[in-house]
Amino acid sequence: MDLLGLSLALFGAALAAALSGIGSAIGIGIAGGSAAGVMTEDPNKFGSCLILQALPGTQGIYGLLITFFVLNKLGLLGGAGAVALNWNQGLQIFASCMPIAIVGWISAIYQGKTSAASIQMISKKPEAMGKAIILPAMVETYAVLALLTSILMLMGVQVG
Amino acid sequence: MGVAKLKKAELYYHKSVHEEIAAALQETGVCQIIGDAEGGPAVVEARLSESEAHLADVRYLMRTLTPHFNDPISSLDRTLGERPVVSMSDLSKLAHETDLSSICTKVRGLEHETGEVRLELSQARANQGLLEAFSFLPCPLSAVTEGTRTLAGVAGTVKADQLEAFKTALREFSEDTELILEPSYGAGGASPASKPKAQDIHVVLFFTRSRGPAVLEACVKKGLSVLEIPSAFKGTVSEERTKMTASIATLEEREAALVREMEEVAETWMPAVQKLSDYWNSLAARYTALGRSGETERTQLTRFWVPAKDAEAVQKKIEAVSPNVALFLSDPAEDEEPPTLLENGDYVRPFNILTELYSPPKYRGIDPTPLLAPFFFIFFGMCLGDAGYAIVMLAAIWWLFRKYRRVPLGVRDFIVLFAFSAVSTFVYGIISGSFFGNFIDSFLPFLVPVKNALMLVDPMTNPMQVLGISLLLGVIHLMFGLLIAAYDNFRNGQPVDAIGADISWFLLIVGLCLMGVAMGGMVPPHFQSVGQAMAIIGAVIIFWYAGREKSGIISKIISGFLALYGSTSYLGDILSYSRLLALGFGSAVIGMIINLLGGMAADIPYIGWLIAVVVIAGGHLFSILINLLGAFVHPLRLQYVEFFGKFYTGGGEPFTPLALSEEFVSVKQ
Repeated sequence: MDLLGLSLALFGAALAAALSGIGSAIGIGIAGGSAAGVMTEDPNKFGSCLILQALPGTQGIYGLLITFFVLNKLGLLGGAGAVALNWNQGLQIFASCMPIAIVGWISAIYQGKTSAASIQMISKKPEAMGKAIILPAMVETYAVLALLTSILMLMGVQVG
Repeated sequence: MGVAKLKKAELYYHKSVHEEIAAALQETGVCQIIGDAEGGPAVVEARLSESEAHLADVRYLMRTLTPHFNDPISSLDRTLGERPVVSMSDLSKLAHETDLSSICTKVRGLEHETGEVRLELSQARANQGLLEAFSFLPCPLSAVTEGTRTLAGVAGTVKADQLEAFKTALREFSEDTELILEPSYGAGGASPASKPKAQDIHVVLFFTRSRGPAVLEACVKKGLSVLEIPSAFKGTVSEERTKMTASIATLEEREAALVREMEEVAETWMPAVQKLSDYWNSLAARYTALGRSGETERTQLTRFWVPAKDAEAVQKKIEAVSPNVALFLSDPAEDEEPPTLLENGDYVRPFNILTELYSPPKYRGIDPTPLLAPFFFIFFGMCLGDAGYAIVMLAAIWWLFRKYRRVPLGVRDFIVLFAFSAVSTFVYGIISGSFFGNFIDSFLPFLVPVKNALMLVDPMTNPMQVLGISLLLGVIHLMFGLLIAAYDNFRNGQPVDAIGADISWFLLIVGLCLMGVAMGGMVPPHFQSVGQAMAIIGAVIIFWYAGREKSGIISKIISGFLALYGSTSYLGDILSYSRLLALGFGSAVIGMIINLLGGMAADIPYIGWLIAVVVIAGGHLFSILINLLGAFVHPLRLQYVEFFGKFYTGGGEPFTPLALSEEFVSVKQ
């Protein structure tokens, strides 16, 4: 059973990158559809549309960040060899990955919807760009908090 | 500092100089005209509709020619001030020399002709497709399009799954008809079952002219859809195809020639049209402003807001135009709501844009810009937090200002805002030991002692310390907001609200924090009792303030407890500042990952170093862009939601003076 811990930890790391990546992809997709619609009318809005479309992309990066964090902790990056892990420690690392995996996934989708609405808003009122950026950022708060939770949990888990 | 003092100006002048007066006001660029569009004097109305007619031409030309115009000045260059410098008299001369309406006629003609050629071309291509589909026809097309005295023909399609039924129906007329199918279905072709059911099969049917109506009716009933072959087709399919190919080539040549001509027109006229766009926009704005003035038989009256500091210069400028003017300045009346112009010194002015993005304050309100500037400065630094990234930003900004010497003020302020932010990023990067992530530890080990000597905090090994600093900054930010709210309430003569809604919460939160740090042993223990006293006084005031207007002891108690329950929102507000740690940590870890990947790539034999350089340079560039967005948006949110939520509502009208339009040119005075 000596590999169960490592497997659990890797499973968690994979979910962190995969779920938040899925969420970001969906969110950016939703916002992108809206942006394309606005740009058919006014191609000059490309710059502001792109910024708004990019906002739901951070969750995927947060997930990736946690995945690398775990891989680094497990000694899987850079040839040092995996550290020994019992299944308890593996499960702890798995649990630490869950906040960003789940919150990243779902918040990115809702942030995408908000971004899409913001893009519609700047198509009518280009001067409202500041407000349009803040609305999706309100959603992102919870992804940031989940990232923080995952980081603090991971730092607390003792391995090796 | 803060909201600029405005004067209300009433300007009386003789009608004969109204053009010159309006031009002078527009050139100053500091006068916001007051008044509704009343139409104004008839001559002004005529000039306005003339300008608008020219503007309509300009807009049409811009819209039509822009796709054909390869602008030598990119829109980025233009934003950064690379615009031709001209004077209004140059522009007016250009406007007289340029016959916009004849250019419009020419462009409309070209546009129309191009449209027609494109329509013909698409018809020709459709016919070409039709001919291709019927290339199996062995006889000349005249057999179908004209027929003979006794014989007629029809071309069309039948769905693959209806083909058998169609053939069966034709058996009834087998004496009078001859069916030709496209080759794959004719003799020796594949069976219809091997093709998708919905596939169209091209067929040609010849029949005795006298039986025509009956045959056609039966065929259409059994699934024949007739395709019209243009009557001009008379030769064999291959002859007609050759002709068609030739005519398509001719049409394509004509189309290309027309597009070239359009490009030539665009190249010749677009620079002038762009200049005239600014000219006519300026004139239209000028006449709209004049249209808002009142008049008597000989005089005209224009009212406007002007910043107090510019009033004298405006007066001089107007008096230079004509001696027959009278300018009266007065302070805004109590019941008037003048527009808001933010006026801050060089160090704070770049932050104006953050306030304006939210909503400018009312004329008599507090300008929050100097209050938010230091916090935004610190927060941005903590979120990006990398000395290397700061150097890249500063280098980019330095290059920008070297390349562009005439950056307009608003754009310059925005860039300077990022320069300030980069400075704070640099400082935080040094004290948290982050230089392109952990670049120093990974690749420059000899610099590690220097880095470590300068480090004050270490988010990587001791994140709780930075979390504590983030939350402490949050408490300071929020409490500062409460004190501003209290000051604002005192200023407006509402001391009860100041104490009940603002000071009370200040006492409660600060008291609780003092108790917390005293219990944690971070300050001497007697602070605990001080904190306790503050918290109790604060809570009592909150309790009293919430219930003071309620009748009955029970509803007083209920509303008091409800108000105290509101302290959870302060808990949420304070925890929101943990994002400062999270985002700073995020950029540090992303940087670390990039260096790690780069280090791994370097182990690849022979070309490893090259891959490593690409990975590290590209990766950090990506990291800068993505973290820059986060480091701008999240501190801004902390200002707008947490900080402004305590004291600021905005709601002012921005000051929009009558000015010259400078989208494509810079107007020299």
